[in-house]
Amino acid sequence: MPEMITIENINKKFGDTEVLKDLNGKVEKGQVICVIGPSGGGKSTFLRCLNMLEQPTSGKIVFEDSELTSLNESQINQLREKMGMVFQSFNLFSNMTVVENVKLAPVKVKKMTDAAAQELALKLLDQVGLAEKADNYPASLSGGQQQRVAIARALAMNPDVMLFDEPTSALDPEMVGEVLKVMQDLANQGMTMVVVTHEMGFAKNVADEVWFMDGGVFAEKGTPDQIFEHPQNERTQDFLAKILEA
Amino acid sequence: MLAFTVSVAMLGVFAQPTQAATDDSLARVQEKGTLVMGTSPDYPPYEFLVNRGGKERVVGMDVDIAKKIAKDLGVKLVIKQMDFDSLLVALETNKVDMVISGMSPTAARKKSVDFSNVYYKGGQSIIINKADKGLYKDRTSFQNKAMGAQTGSIQFNLGKKQIKGSNMKGLAKISDLILALKSHKVEGVIMETPSAQAYVDNDPDLAMINGKFSLGSGENDTAIGFKKGSTSLVNEVNKSVDQINKQKLTKTYLKHAGTYMKTNTKNTSMWHYTSYFVKGVEYTLLITVIGVIFGILLGVLFALMRLSKIKLIHFLGVAYIEFVRGTPLMIQVMFVYFGIGLFINIPALIAGIIAVSLNSAAYVAEIIRGGINSVAKGQTEAARSLGLSQQQTFVSVIFPQALKNIWPALGNEFVSLIKESSIVSIIGVTDLIYQLKAVQTATYKGVIPIVVAMVIYFVMTFSLSKVLNHYERKMKHDA
Ligand SMILES: Nc1ncnc2c1ncn2[C@@H]1O[C@H](COP(=O)(O)OP(=O)(O)O)[C@@H](O)[C@H]1O
Ligand SMILES: [Mg+2]
Repeated sequence: MPEMITIENINKKFGDTEVLKDLNGKVEKGQVICVIGPSGGGKSTFLRCLNMLEQPTSGKIVFEDSELTSLNESQINQLREKMGMVFQSFNLFSNMTVVENVKLAPVKVKKMTDAAAQELALKLLDQVGLAEKADNYPASLSGGQQQRVAIARALAMNPDVMLFDEPTSALDPEMVGEVLKVMQDLANQGMTMVVVTHEMGFAKNVADEVWFMDGGVFAEKGTPDQIFEHPQNERTQDFLAKILEA
Repeated sequence: MLAFTVSVAMLGVFAQPTQAATDDSLARVQEKGTLVMGTSPDYPPYEFLVNRGGKERVVGMDVDIAKKIAKDLGVKLVIKQMDFDSLLVALETNKVDMVISGMSPTAARKKSVDFSNVYYKGGQSIIINKADKGLYKDRTSFQNKAMGAQTGSIQFNLGKKQIKGSNMKGLAKISDLILALKSHKVEGVIMETPSAQAYVDNDPDLAMINGKFSLGSGENDTAIGFKKGSTSLVNEVNKSVDQINKQKLTKTYLKHAGTYMKTNTKNTSMWHYTSYFVKGVEYTLLITVIGVIFGILLGVLFALMRLSKIKLIHFLGVAYIEFVRGTPLMIQVMFVYFGIGLFINIPALIAGIIAVSLNSAAYVAEIIRGGINSVAKGQTEAARSLGLSQQQTFVSVIFPQALKNIWPALGNEFVSLIKESSIVSIIGVTDLIYQLKAVQTATYKGVIPIVVAMVIYFVMTFSLSKVLNHYERKMKHDA
């Protein structure tokens, strides 16, 4: 399988605190990687390094033949088009309607005509089950609905890979399912995904690989079966024990 | 007065290089074909405003004198109105070629200004409330009493020096002094006899007495002021002044002024002066609207500069904002008009608009900066992760949300700009405040024009607030 993202010796420091330590990894086309681990372990920072929202202090990230850390501002903008990102806090643009949220990047970045963008947006909103909310403002939507719009918004750029940072952590429990369902559909369609999540069920069912992160390192990597049924690392065992207790 | 002193001090810094230039004063006037007269038209019968067919004009003895001089020089007369306080600065900064404003050639003034020969000798009188007529005889009756005179005038100094224990109150406008007199803030107002006569003739509540001041050189006289070193122009003008004196033309001129004053006071209803107020509102709105537009454009620029990560740009942004917010608008107005006016000649209205815009920009910049900071960081990250550039993110996502957050604060700024722009009246911009004073002078009525102006200001600010509230509600998308 062709490699989509290669991570080599990534380090990240905030001031003097080392948050990521010598990370390595490969994401292949069509793979779903779930990143799990305790809070504060560096999962978000790692994910944000993948699309350069954070600049790694050292190391290399290669995405489809491009070495991200060596690119200039406008080249990074171009690569970000191909990497959709979904945030824990949705981050829908509050000054725009749902459909405007989805259309913005295709129109501004891809220079798509308004009509074409409208058609695309409505198709994607339909795909996440929210076509009838197209003209509402985000504030009038539930959390689950907002997150589905956020996914549609990221998909509108037709990305090669989707990055999710705890997409369901801010949701009321009854809304988690609808978002996970959309993500599962995406995975089934063959989308390459890197998902930071605490939803162990999702990781077990959907992930091709699970990366356990703690203290800024990938303490353990493996198939869902290896990680959840036969964890080798003590920290993985601790973490899973605590999660399952809760 | 303080403002005046500051602007003169400022001139000291700027004016040095031009001082040494050779005298081309006459040649310059002839070359441009206009003679610009500076005057403070609130001093009937010397100079005052009349309303002619909806248009206001400066008339009076001094205007007739200026007309004769211009005619003798073969050039066109242009009249520039401004506060008495600002006249000498205007001379030094070449805003005007000469000042004819009932001005006395005192020794102190002669240090910074050249004067023509004397064209009129009036005495100094004191105006009092008619009801007090028995109480006061001459200046000696005013010991330890509050007295009024125009700020920067020789009457002010006379009162200070020659009335024992006097408590002098200075105001820029005679009309305000008369108001102060009527409300017993002062017991008497010192002014030149012809002017005092005009007020007494037109206001049955006033009376005048001879001040019996001992008058030194020049203090009884009235002459024309010129920029220091304008010998050639002064000599030429003196030919006209000598003719005026020989032919006793001032008598004719005073009579002429008298007829204007009668037409002025024939109808003193505020309705009759609608055009004054309308013009004032037009200018006030013009200054405010342009001030707001440039205030926002520049405000965004300065806010972005202050938010910039580049140290020098950040520093320049901070420096501008802090400096402008740390100095009064009044001084900024004078600085733009007189200070910058030394290098480029800008009309008072433009100077006023520039000053108000630059001032507003600093306040708007801080409001906008607050607004930008108030937009959640996630909004930027979401936009950037979609591939939008920093600029696209700002224009499409951050700024609209910032604007929504700061709309009430911006609205307040605009409303206060309507009020604060009134300061431009000091350089002669005919905004509402300026027109208010003009109506006061023309009608010899003090309070009613104030009430009218107050109501107009309120109507403007109140309707603006309503309009802004409407848009604020429209912008709210949450819940
Ligand atoms: N912008 C930042 N500045 C300083 N420290 C940060 C910043 N972002 C994250 N950190 C720190 O880095 C560590 C890892 O954070 P994060 O990547 O958010 O972990 P996780 O997503 O696994 O909870 C934490 O200790 C956090 O406090
Ligand atoms: Mg996190």
